[in-house]
Amino acid sequence: MLYSIHHKTSYTYHEPVGMCYNIARLIPRNTYFQQCTNVQISISPEPAVVNEYEDFYGNRIIYFSVDKEHSKLVVDVTTSVEKIPVTAGMLANSSDATIQDVLTELNNSGEEPAAIRQFVFPTPMTQWNEEIADYAMLSFFPGRPVYEAAMDLMHRIHADFTFKPGITTIATPVSEVMQERKGVCQDFAHVAISCIRSAGLAVRYVSGYIETIPPRGKEKLVGADASHAWFSIFIPQMGWVDFDPTNNIIPGDQHITIGWGRDYADIAPFKGIILSSGTHDLAVSVDVARQK
Amino acid sequence: MLPDPFSHPQFREYMSNSPAFKQMLGDDGQPDPHWASFFQSYFRIGEEEILSRNTDIQRLLRENGVTYNIHGDPSGLNRPWKIDIIPFLINRNEWTKIESGLKQRAELMNLLLEDIYGERNLIRKGIIPMDLVYNHAGFLRECSGLKLAGPKRLVLYSADIARSGTGQLWVVNDRTQAPSGSGYALENRTTMTRVIPELFDGLKVRHLAPYFNALRDGLIATAPAHAKNPRIVILTPGASNETYFEHSFLSSYLGFTLVQGNDLIVKDNFVWLKTLGGLERVDVILRRVDDVYCDPVELREDSQLGIPGLLQVVRNGNVGIANPLGSGILENPGLMPFMQQLCRYFFSEDLILPTIASWWCGQPSEMNYVIDNLATLVVKKIHRSATGSSAIDGASLSHEQLSELRSQIQMNPNLYVGQEKVEISYTPSLINGKIEPRKVLFRNFLAGTPEGYVAMAGGLCRTSSEAGNFLISNQLGGFSKDAWVLSPEPGRVIHTLKDVNSFSAGGFTNMLPSHAAENLFWVGRYTERLLGNARFLRTVMQFLAEGNKLKTYNNEQTERNLLIAFTHYSYTYPGFTGEKKEEIFHDPWKELRDILFNSKRAGGIRNNFLLFNRAIHEVRDHWSTDTWRVIRKVDEELNEDNNQQSHLQMLHTLDDLITSMVAFIGLNRESISREQGWIMLDLGRKIEQSLLLISMLKATMTASLSEQVEYNLLQAVLMSNENLVNYRYKYRLPVQNSLVLDLMLFDPNNPRSLTYQVDRLKAHLQNLPKTNNGHALTGYERLIIEADTLLKLVNKQEISNPDKESRTYKKLDEFLEKLYDLLSGIPGMISKTYFKHEMPSQPIVVLR
Repeated sequence: MLYSIHHKTSYTYHEPVGMCYNIARLIPRNTYFQQCTNVQISISPEPAVVNEYEDFYGNRIIYFSVDKEHSKLVVDVTTSVEKIPVTAGMLANSSDATIQDVLTELNNSGEEPAAIRQFVFPTPMTQWNEEIADYAMLSFFPGRPVYEAAMDLMHRIHADFTFKPGITTIATPVSEVMQERKGVCQDFAHVAISCIRSAGLAVRYVSGYIETIPPRGKEKLVGADASHAWFSIFIPQMGWVDFDPTNNIIPGDQHITIGWGRDYADIAPFKGIILSSGTHDLAVSVDVARQK
Repeated sequence: MLPDPFSHPQFREYMSNSPAFKQMLGDDGQPDPHWASFFQSYFRIGEEEILSRNTDIQRLLRENGVTYNIHGDPSGLNRPWKIDIIPFLINRNEWTKIESGLKQRAELMNLLLEDIYGERNLIRKGIIPMDLVYNHAGFLRECSGLKLAGPKRLVLYSADIARSGTGQLWVVNDRTQAPSGSGYALENRTTMTRVIPELFDGLKVRHLAPYFNALRDGLIATAPAHAKNPRIVILTPGASNETYFEHSFLSSYLGFTLVQGNDLIVKDNFVWLKTLGGLERVDVILRRVDDVYCDPVELREDSQLGIPGLLQVVRNGNVGIANPLGSGILENPGLMPFMQQLCRYFFSEDLILPTIASWWCGQPSEMNYVIDNLATLVVKKIHRSATGSSAIDGASLSHEQLSELRSQIQMNPNLYVGQEKVEISYTPSLINGKIEPRKVLFRNFLAGTPEGYVAMAGGLCRTSSEAGNFLISNQLGGFSKDAWVLSPEPGRVIHTLKDVNSFSAGGFTNMLPSHAAENLFWVGRYTERLLGNARFLRTVMQFLAEGNKLKTYNNEQTERNLLIAFTHYSYTYPGFTGEKKEEIFHDPWKELRDILFNSKRAGGIRNNFLLFNRAIHEVRDHWSTDTWRVIRKVDEELNEDNNQQSHLQMLHTLDDLITSMVAFIGLNRESISREQGWIMLDLGRKIEQSLLLISMLKATMTASLSEQVEYNLLQAVLMSNENLVNYRYKYRLPVQNSLVLDLMLFDPNNPRSLTYQVDRLKAHLQNLPKTNNGHALTGYERLIIEADTLLKLVNKQEISNPDKESRTYKKLDEFLEKLYDLLSGIPGMISKTYFKHEMPSQPIVVLR
């Protein structure tokens, strides 16, 4: 399956800005399930510097700076991603590794456990409290297979939380989302991550897209038309397994991964600094279309 | 033979505290010959003399502006630095051990840093626990994989060392971000050698200079390969930082330009310094800003102290930073228990200097040990909080607090470290005129050079404020001490010509940073504002205080007019112009006293002094010691506690203030050699003088008044401008309107006339670096030429006469108004052209 993704970010400054420095994480990385085959980036006004590199987690970074006065910044990124279909067989082979098994594996020394273990620690955006730990315990009780527990947690978040944009911001602490039980996909991913880390397990925050208009017969998923986010938990013998609590499904053909980190801050799609004391507006549009 | 200094009565009390005395005994149980020699000199100088020299030292430090700023200290920002006159002696054997031990440790830290941000073999092999690195806030993933120039990744290393009761030396803390203290150590030494040179008699005390030469070499080696003559800057968070004195001190001593984040800008993947003459490339940054604040694009986005895009420049290999961003990971007490293993791994040898026994709670058995022995240990977090040390002495905690700490540790074990409480030994200290035992912590400094690490043969000691206090920190008070390394100097290297050339490193061709230029400009303006207000206020007060004065209508009118004029002149509104003016006229002294001493009174003298003082501190490396003395004196004169002064005393205060400010101006002529610096300062002065003069004339000479009142006011104008004698000499006529205007506005030879100020302004503005290549006039050139022409072409007759109808001096008023508008436009244009008012950086809003 080939997807064409068009992500347009426009900033309108109310006062002209002399310099801006930006970091975009908008190019899908290559994974076992996907291959990014084409990238087109157009930035207006023309940037003075563009640096491309991979970050600590192997995500693809575009840094650019504009050093002439401008009132509008438009970043247009078009990418093509070839999705390798996930077969039913891949998921049928679910592991029955329990929490204890995972903890044992994570505590082994060596490079691989280290790379996984870094996703166990809390981050400022995924601090858990007693309420979160208690909520997690209902799914992650001792002896239960981790895969089953993660599935259960996803179901519960989907059932207990209401998708409602405009209530939360990046600054809303996960404890508040937990109490209010309302938010957007990034909030649900952070809730799930905090829960799973409170149980001592490794879990990643995944940033990506979902298909805008589903093929006939398939439901339109929540979180299209914008950047999407979900979580990915480490399970022995299975590796990293993705769960989308917003849509209550295991991401498959309709999900495209941009990259991952410990939380949103590690993989924010777009951020930057402007030298200005004026205010500005932002408009983002995302279109993910199936080519064939 | 000289008498035994230890039998001196001053010492008896000290000796009665035998464990303290033991520190001065050699291995053979006899008093250490160095201590004996030191105290021989000490008692030869004599108690009384020592105390008087001690006072001299504190005075000298105060005069040199040596301070340590305390955050949130209500008593003002700058706290004087204090030295204990008795140094910390380190004998040759001990020094050999410290030096080799610290070099070994610095090398280890360097390799560790290299590995953490590179291959991470140590974690892979389990030599360093992964959680200790990945879960530490100082581990900056953004800095992973950066290739850096220079022989050592870790350019600066600093360690705190304690001597235990048994003479054992322990490393207590590692400092690897932006270690502070080397400048204070040098200042301590300089002060000691100057004030009390006799103390050094008979002792070979090693010099500190080789360390600073090594630091310079190390920084030069950190420059990118393309930089042939690297330009080095010191990045400071600014004048309110606790160790700002040291930043500016090192800047002068090493000859590196002192800059703040907004003096620099990232463009085209390079870092540039904004100077009066344009952008100059920067090759090496010696940073005194913590790493997470250095680049808001990739690190803390709310930081205003950094340079947006800096990490990209590092990533492209176009700037060296000492210490590199990310080095805070090593300031991690959790690493202490692993140092020995690390040393065996890299060098197959043991640590020369042991670290305090530490237990990192990320390991189950270690955590249990700490939990079980909490009351006897010191507990630290692996990451220092922004507010400083997080050390908790278990013994100081109540039962409840202990169990609270216990559960905190159990919740996040890998964030905690337990450390053995070392019995720090006592060392003699001069406290309130008596020799007393105090605990001391010794900080040493190392610089990484192409030839390896070089340790400062000396360092900074800090003593506890009370005899028993365990935690030592400048934030908590306490004294500093000089540290004397006693051993013959190793073969001194004589600097060849090649070395001398390399000393020019760090030079900029056009180097006045815009930020310094701006502050010098404001120092100039505040200088004249203070002086002008003080002179006018003095004139007003003199008139009010004059005895033998008839309570006539004219005198009363003069008083009123003067007071109102002063309110306009000083912008101390509402003052004598507001709704309650009648009440204030009734007791004008209360208002004038408030203007003089109330620091919160906008436009008041004390208030202006504080603004002046702040600007002065922002460019503190421009002032000489003599200048600092003058500034301190003004500070004391204008102390708010003086606000009970009598009328006469207030006049004296103003006299002193005026003398001091005149001295300040005179000293600047001598000490500010930097051409552009002087232009900016004088430009500020002349602008302010022009505007103040116009304000005064407008406020005193344009209204319709009786002849007697007009005469009194003209007299006051001349007095306030120190021109009464000048007037009498030049005109030999009674004071009159047209002649006062001639003298104050048009006389090109009168250094107080407006024409004179405008001439100087024109000259200065022409001397500013050209920012446009063409011959077009810049905005400020237009304004000054227009003002100059207006001044030259005005009909003097017309402005000297009152309007037929209103009897006011309408033409003069309009003329002055016009001049004021033109001249007051100049600062804004200079600012726009030269001070590069970069907008504050702000993170853009994002959509998740």
